[in-house]
Amino acid sequence: MSFRIHPHPIDPAPLRQELEGNEHGGLVFFEGRVRNHHEGRSVVGLHYQAYLELAEKEGRRLLEEISTKHGVRAAAIHATGDLQPGDLAVWVGAAAAHREEAFAACRELIDAIKARVPIWKRETYADGHGEWVEGCACGSQHSH
Amino acid sequence: MTPRLNGLLLAGGKSSRMGRDKASMVVGGDGITQAQRGADLLGKFCERTFVSLRDGQTAPEGAQGLEVLVDSPLAQGPLSGILAAFQKDPEAAWLVLACDLPFVSEQVLSDLIAHRKTNDAPPFVAFASSSDSLPEPLCAIYEPSARAVLERHAARGHFCPRHILIEEKADLIALPEGAAEALTNLNTPQDLEEAGGFPIHLSWFGHLSELRGLSDETIRTKTETAGALLHELSQRHGLDLSTTRLAVNDEFASGDQPLRPGDKIALLPPFSGG
Repeated sequence: MSFRIHPHPIDPAPLRQELEGNEHGGLVFFEGRVRNHHEGRSVVGLHYQAYLELAEKEGRRLLEEISTKHGVRAAAIHATGDLQPGDLAVWVGAAAAHREEAFAACRELIDAIKARVPIWKRETYADGHGEWVEGCACGSQHSH
Repeated sequence: MTPRLNGLLLAGGKSSRMGRDKASMVVGGDGITQAQRGADLLGKFCERTFVSLRDGQTAPEGAQGLEVLVDSPLAQGPLSGILAAFQKDPEAAWLVLACDLPFVSEQVLSDLIAHRKTNDAPPFVAFASSSDSLPEPLCAIYEPSARAVLERHAARGHFCPRHILIEEKADLIALPEGAAEALTNLNTPQDLEEAGGFPIHLSWFGHLSELRGLSDETIRTKTETAGALLHELSQRHGLDLSTTRLAVNDEFASGDQPLRPGDKIALLPPFSGG
């Protein structure tokens, strides 16, 4: 099971390969793409910054926790650097015997990545302005 | 008989290079102002301690309890404070201490005092700088016989105590073992940043790097835990770090985690990946 941080563009194909297996009846993938709007503003670009050493370490811990909890195989990759709307920012996959665990694990993994992995994004708007997006300090694994 | 020793804390400097009053600044993790540190130290050795101020200046925090001496108009800079002291009490010797010497210790002052002579005492007891061997006049003892010497120089427009001590060929003593940096003073925000403590490496992430104006730096700190460091950085840079987490050596750290020299510290604002 792999957790990777990689400069844009990222290729999830090798990770998807890792999840293949005849024992897996359900495979669930999530792709996070760059959106062209945020809180009413037009977004033309995103910059992702990662604290690489800790992000990879924490990411591997997440995979361990969630795969153990749900009895799944899981993998994820997150992009860094400058991305444009439509680009792939993060990819998460989970494979299990049945769809129920695969859906649950995939959902939990993407939420946990957002909450626990030290990555930050800076948005650039149509007017040329840029701003770091303030993450949620609550630390809980809910969706934003 | 050895003349009694009064303390004189010099706090009348304009701190122009620092851009704010050095005497009121807190340097180091103990939370006390430089003026208070100096006053406490002098109080350990002197029955009476005075604070030297410019005319109209109010005493800095931590030195309000001291008797005030207003600078003498006969000179400029620290010399005017020392002359005012002799005017106040000509029979005493004066232990003079500038308030911007945060590394002076009790040991350093007691070493200085131990070098006073009972008979035929020279007018000055001063250390030689560990960097250039020149006299250090702002952590020194001025015996009563120094007054006439200083006034003679002041009358000729010589106001620099260091030059006066050089011209007078004052006998200098070496700083005690392990205290070579004791008389390092703080004149600029840069000095303050580098003052004392041990080196650590900082990385500022996300919007914090914009607020700080840089991503990586090596600083010196005297703080002992990750939590105390966060507090210090918040104070030092006027930043709200209440939602910032720290990592030490590539691992999340709790507030009570001890810090060691050379640690790699990362400041992590709330994450916004995904």
